[in-house]
Amino acid sequence: MMNIRNSIVLSAVATVLVATTGCVNNPDSSGLEYMPDMYRSPAVEAYVDYGQDPYQVGEEVASSQRMVQSARKPVAGTIAFHPEAMDFVMPYPYPNTVEGYEAAGLALASPLTQIGQAEIEAGQEIYTLMCTQCHGEEGKGNGALSRNGHIQGIPSYSDKLKDLPEGKMYHTLTYGKGLMGSHASQLSQKDRWLVIEYIKVLQQGGEMPEFDENGNVVKSASTEAGDAMAMNN
Amino acid sequence: MIADLGFKATKSFLTACLVLFAVQGTAGIWDDGNIEEGQALFNANCASCHKVTNEVLAAPGLAGIADRWGASEELLVQWIQNPQGAAESGDSYIKSLVSRYVPTYGWMTAQAVSAEDVKNIMAYVQNPPDAAPVADSGSDCITVDELPIEEANNDSGVWFVMLLVLFLIIAMAAAGVNRSLTNASREKDGGALLEDLPYGQRVKMWAWENRVAVSLIGVFIVAYGAVLGYQGLMRVGVVEGYKPNQPIQFIHSVHVCENEVDCKYCHHSAYESKHAGIPSTNVCMNCHKAVKKGRRYGETEIGKIYEAIGFDATSGTYVDGEGKNGYASPQDTYDGDPIRWNKVHNLPDHVFFSHQQHVVVGGLQCQNCHGDVETYTVGRVAKVEDINQLVDKYPGLIELSKPTLTMGWCIECHNKAEIDLASSGYYEEIHHRLKDHLRGNEELRMYMEDDKITVKELGGWECAKCHY
Ligand code: HEC
Ligand code: HEC
Ligand code: HEC
Ligand code: HEC
Ligand code: HEC
Ligand code: HEC
Ligand code: HEC
Repeated sequence: MMNIRNSIVLSAVATVLVATTGCVNNPDSSGLEYMPDMYRSPAVEAYVDYGQDPYQVGEEVASSQRMVQSARKPVAGTIAFHPEAMDFVMPYPYPNTVEGYEAAGLALASPLTQIGQAEIEAGQEIYTLMCTQCHGEEGKGNGALSRNGHIQGIPSYSDKLKDLPEGKMYHTLTYGKGLMGSHASQLSQKDRWLVIEYIKVLQQGGEMPEFDENGNVVKSASTEAGDAMAMNN
Repeated sequence: MIADLGFKATKSFLTACLVLFAVQGTAGIWDDGNIEEGQALFNANCASCHKVTNEVLAAPGLAGIADRWGASEELLVQWIQNPQGAAESGDSYIKSLVSRYVPTYGWMTAQAVSAEDVKNIMAYVQNPPDAAPVADSGSDCITVDELPIEEANNDSGVWFVMLLVLFLIIAMAAAGVNRSLTNASREKDGGALLEDLPYGQRVKMWAWENRVAVSLIGVFIVAYGAVLGYQGLMRVGVVEGYKPNQPIQFIHSVHVCENEVDCKYCHHSAYESKHAGIPSTNVCMNCHKAVKKGRRYGETEIGKIYEAIGFDATSGTYVDGEGKNGYASPQDTYDGDPIRWNKVHNLPDHVFFSHQQHVVVGGLQCQNCHGDVETYTVGRVAKVEDINQLVDKYPGLIELSKPTLTMGWCIECHNKAEIDLASSGYYEEIHHRLKDHLRGNEELRMYMEDDKITVKELGGWECAKCHY
């Protein structure tokens, strides 16, 4: 019969095999790599929070460093500096309240100076990628989330929101309103104003205005409204 | 101020009209309405703020509404048609309603519904039919039930090895039994017993007797080992198929395919920077403020989002009241534990890779490098064979052969990918110079021989473009 030494050798071999294949198949391990400190280096990189080298500073220090996010908010009170686009980096003056919303609707106007084909098409692209799942392709409030019954009753731009002023739109995009959350973290101030240009087109039924060869709007109701706004200020 | 007064005056006038109108049309608002019509009206007008249960969405739930308003039927119609007007009536219930909800949710917007409509809506609100299960949108998306369940650890290899060991043990035991049986039968027949040799010697003898077969098998095992070893070495540093567990069982297919959320909604910085980024929790809340239950994991997984951001699902408000609508104000006080997603793709520190360069300037589709994400659950490193299968589904994909995220892969694509010089202002200068070859600049002719410009020809193979 099999003697004891043989079975010990066998089980040792089995354990080693199990252990090695085990770690190769573990979905939480990315597999063998050489120079692992190049993949997880102590240098600060966005989305990589590995801290300093645990061999040098000790596991305790390293793991506490891992708990600190490397992606930081800008220092409070600072403003990004873009010499050619200072209109789009200023802090938003209206507070996140009902009164702030009404006030923005009355006084806030788009800082975009030139509104032509390029701007409206840029707005359309942002709208198609970021807003259609709720508001729908034509802005009627029938995006996929609404059709699937997750968020219902999203107002239509060309109906309930036909006369919504751009200041209120901007306020809503910045702070959110009701079920629509704030999109300030996803859209820069300029992007927000660009997409509003396209919403104005949707308010008129969704037909693109005519452009001349330089990409200027030939005639459309929304630019007239915009001019009136600008004059009020 | 004047405008304000005027506004007030019109409003009171409107209120008066409405009251008159309401008195005529509201006999028995709590009964004999049409439930189906009410449901349609409710979904079109009220559902973005109210639920028919007592769950708070962006306004109080309407369950038990009859108990709260009871006899003040006209006032209710008036409230729905013009809340701020109705508040001026000085009704004590409305006063309490306003002081409780307006500071958080703002004024309810005036609804363009008639008294008859309100009757139908109230019929529906009081007796909502059982909610039909959310239909799959009828598209060709992979459904939640078809998705693989994430297992904590699927070590199929371990089972294989265990089986092998078990098999060996059985084989040896069988050999031993066989031997005892032979001995027993020989003993009976009076023949010579098998020699009682040590185990090793017996194996040697057996091997010598079958030397041809044994040497063949030996050669095979050595060759096989060499191939395996080579393949093993080639896998070092290759992370294809890597799919770590995540703190939340996020499902890409539900979001991207079923609900048509574009990659940009969550990974928007791919268009603006080196990083594609992982969405912050407030982005999830844009929808999960309303979507509180999933079909697969119920409330557990979505509950983890609420835990991280500090959201109370029953009252529909943020715990600190400051992060209203997901807007992170500087005064945020909630100190929750953020969601710690595990990083999946990770190039070593000595490589520079920019998403913007590839997605915006190069116009590549995400699927070219990440595979068919709309069928995934959590993120994973796509296998290059799987990406090559997608050419029919996503026209324009570049087929490659080297494992993803290796240097060979980057290089191979840079050799194949063509650049449309005229497409963006980015290449104006190079385009201008290349056009020179038509005017006899021999040095540039070689680039234009095959009539296309690849990334390599513009320097996509220079070590310093990727390593610095
Ligand atoms: C999660 C679904 C969702 C997404 C995504 C979404 N919205 Fe909305 N949006 C809503 C809902 C719901 C409302 C109604 C809010 C209310 O009045 O309570 C709304 C209302 C609005 C309004 C009217 C606000 C007002 O002041 O009455 C504007 C303008 C708007 N959305 C623009 C956008 C734009 C632009 C985008 C894309 C960047 C977008 N929305 C993305 C759900 C969404
Ligand atoms: C834009 C969001 C919104 C829409 C759309 C909306 N409501 Fe409201 N509703 C509110 C808010 C917010 C309140 C709480 C009072 C306040 O803040 O003005 C409220 C309060 C009410 C109340 C009183 C609730 C109570 O507990 O006594 C009723 C009844 C009501 N709404 C009915 C309706 C009906 C019916 C519709 C559709 C025709 C509707 N609402 C559409 C936001 C909305
Ligand atoms: C555009 C809207 C939207 C956004 C943004 C969104 N979700 Fe979802 N999510 C949904 C919808 C719709 C469902 C489907 C619920 C169902 O199963 O019916 C869902 C389902 C889920 C589920 C549950 C799956 C199940 O079947 O149990 C999880 C977990 C989840 N989402 C996590 C997240 C996380 C984490 C984020 C942020 C990164 C996020 N979601 C962002 C709309 C969204
Ligand atoms: C040319 C190939 C390529 C394309 C196209 C591409 N990616 Fe990536 N992606 C990568 C590589 C390589 C990494 C690893 C980057 C690193 O570790 O520095 C990555 C990483 C990521 C990550 C992890 C987070 C991060 O920023 O490191 C996300 C999320 C992501 N990609 C999403 C996208 C989306 C969404 C798109 C389409 C808009 C896209 N990718 C297009 C190659 C690509
Ligand atoms: C609703 C938000 C949402 C949408 C839409 C979405 N993703 Fe993601 N994605 C996430 C979240 C959250 C993670 C982190 C968890 C994980 O790895 O699954 C992630 C992870 C990833 C990763 C792995 C990141 C890493 O750590 O390396 C890739 C690659 C990726 N997504 C690509 C895409 C592509 C391509 C699309 C569009 C087809 C897309 N995503 C759409 C939310 C989203
Ligand atoms: C699917 C094809 C594809 C893959 C895979 C790919 N690239 Fe690229 N890459 C391109 C294209 C196309 C461009 C040219 C974009 C442009 O500038 O028009 C480019 C440009 C670049 C540039 C800028 C080159 C220059 O001339 O300025 C760098 C750096 C780069 N890639 C790095 C990488 C790295 C690192 C990887 C591997 C992790 C990688 N790429 C994988 C297609 C690819
Ligand atoms: C298109 C981008 C790109 C270019 C050009 C490039 N590399 Fe790399 N290189 C990479 C990537 C990505 C990796 C990381 C591969 C990995 O993580 O497995 C890498 C890794 C390496 C490594 C480490 C070994 C390895 O495979 O991990 C060396 C050494 C190296 N490169 C040398 C070079 C030299 C020398 C050149 C110029 C002839 C060069 N590289 C050009 C993208 C590039």
